[in-house]
Amino acid sequence: MSTNRWLATGNYFTSYQDEQRLFFTHLDRTILSLFLFMLFVWPLLFSLSNKYMLVLDNILIAMVAIIGLNIVTGFAGLISIGHAAFMGIGAYTLASFSRTLGDSHVIITHAWPLMIVLSGLMGAVFGAIVGLPAMRLKHLYLAIATLSFQMIFSWTINFLEFFNQGQTIAISRVFWFTGKLGRKDHYLFWYYVLLVVVILSGFMVRNLLRTRYGRCLSAVRDNDRAADAMGMHPGLTKVYAFGLAGFFAGIAGALHAYVYRGVGFESFTLHHSITLLAMAIVGGLGTLNGSFWGPTAIIALELQVETLAEHAGQILPSDWNLATALKPFSFGLVIVLFLMFEPRGIANWWRIARSYTKLWPFRY
Amino acid sequence: MSYFFQLVVSGIVVGSIYALAALGFVLIYKSSKVLNIAHGQIIAAGAFIAYALTGMVGIPIYISFLLSMVITFFLAMSVERIFLRRLIGEPIISVIMVTIGLMSIIDGLIFLTPFGSVNFSFPLFLPQTLISFGGVSISWTQLVGVIVTFLMIGGFSWFFKKSTVGISMRAVSDDQFASMSVGISVPRVFGLAWATAGLSAAAAGVIIGNITGLNFETLQAFGITVFPVVILGGLDSILGAVVAGVIMGIIQQFASGYLDGNWGLNGTAEVLPYIILLIILLFKPHGLFGIHEIERV
Repeated sequence: MSTNRWLATGNYFTSYQDEQRLFFTHLDRTILSLFLFMLFVWPLLFSLSNKYMLVLDNILIAMVAIIGLNIVTGFAGLISIGHAAFMGIGAYTLASFSRTLGDSHVIITHAWPLMIVLSGLMGAVFGAIVGLPAMRLKHLYLAIATLSFQMIFSWTINFLEFFNQGQTIAISRVFWFTGKLGRKDHYLFWYYVLLVVVILSGFMVRNLLRTRYGRCLSAVRDNDRAADAMGMHPGLTKVYAFGLAGFFAGIAGALHAYVYRGVGFESFTLHHSITLLAMAIVGGLGTLNGSFWGPTAIIALELQVETLAEHAGQILPSDWNLATALKPFSFGLVIVLFLMFEPRGIANWWRIARSYTKLWPFRY
Repeated sequence: MSYFFQLVVSGIVVGSIYALAALGFVLIYKSSKVLNIAHGQIIAAGAFIAYALTGMVGIPIYISFLLSMVITFFLAMSVERIFLRRLIGEPIISVIMVTIGLMSIIDGLIFLTPFGSVNFSFPLFLPQTLISFGGVSISWTQLVGVIVTFLMIGGFSWFFKKSTVGISMRAVSDDQFASMSVGISVPRVFGLAWATAGLSAAAAGVIIGNITGLNFETLQAFGITVFPVVILGGLDSILGAVVAGVIMGIIQQFASGYLDGNWGLNGTAEVLPYIILLIILLFKPHGLFGIHEIERV
């Protein structure tokens, strides 16, 4: 059958393989490649200050973490209130190298891709350990297990002398082929690294969801007894979901440590776990593009709230603690409002917009 | 030996407050199967309302305690009415995440008031002398706190065993469809569960506030510490909440009394409950008194 592979206005699937394709039309593929090309090129055209580069880096780090959180909370349906702690595991893997070998040892500065993967693996190991109660329990109890992991993590970091009792542990700038990174190039360099990581992990998850290992996650979420009857092991699947989530969180943590050139306890608190959950919910749980919308929306909101608090702080009396108050308030409000009125998140708006443009100019 | 008994006594004091805090948590879980993660914030709100009434408005302290319980009662009821009523029938995971959102919202509201950054303490209204016998001493505030706690727990147990409303709440927790068919309004019971949880949370907040002073961090931390307690006791058992609360209080006191300072350990009381929690989840997930029908997966 000769169908128009550039502009398809409907579904013409003749096999299940067709339905599982990554790109349905050539246009989709072209637009995505152009968009990615733009993402790589534009920092060379406009020169942005380090401050804005840092914001972009933050968004990209959060995206890596949210891809992980979306696997465990979105696809496998298990609430994780300890995702920041898994990020912390990744960051502190790096920090422990820095503590034992010195902060500018050749392993840290030259073999940084290896370190990032290693941190991810460490996160995966801890994720699987915390997920172990999943062998016996359903999701409510797992939420409590992740919460208690967050508390134990905070205590351990604050207690151990090895981790500098939560104070910042320095990690020096890395080397690229051109030599040690300069002060000005630091954030730009990590923008590119993060972009590559986000794109890689995006494709990884997209492809994972086409295989049996990804689809067993949502099968277990939707009905674990049916999944059991189909020959999957629900408990092991959940442990594996936690492991994968921990892997992405660990990578995000290591990248965070490199971008900020240090690891401190205050970046991985319960508060951050809740922020990460807010990102996942706002983006849309159980969707891949939600993992990109959520961090962008929440960090943009965070910046707006900060400027608003600054402006309002000049008018209102100074003992009104507006800056600390507005952030949790707006996050909470966003979580609650999205869950009440748009539980499928921004990804749903994207879906609506897409299906509209696909049929344009016809309405049906 | 008197050191040992001293630790037991202060463990019982702390533990009975845990029991009261856990009680409200269990109430909500029992009726609607929702883990209320915002419970610590409700506890803090109750304590702050009581202080605002007595310290800022000038109402006598006993009346302000009662008033704060009443206000928190209606506050929790309206929280249920506004945010959770429309989520009945949604997957339980989104309801729990709404409570996470609520936790952030209440945090923000409290940070807006002076209570978020400044520490207050209730005016002293009990004698400041210590009661001591046999080397064990306890302050009047702690003694009254424990007595009030156990009175309230007794009152709640009576309420659930005997009163019509309490019986309908137990019926809903047992089987929602069956209780609807005998004419119980399930949404109303959910509202009442939240309201009574708010009431007990306010009581817990006031007692904690009297013993430790009004610090937002300390007060809201009780909402998180409640998790190990309810897991140990069994998520849906009121008796379990009380027993586990006292056990957890004593364990914490022993940890800070015997472990801290030895072997270079410090602050173990904060982390031990969570380690116990993880161990219980692995080996005895329904807790001491919970119903054994947890579904194995």
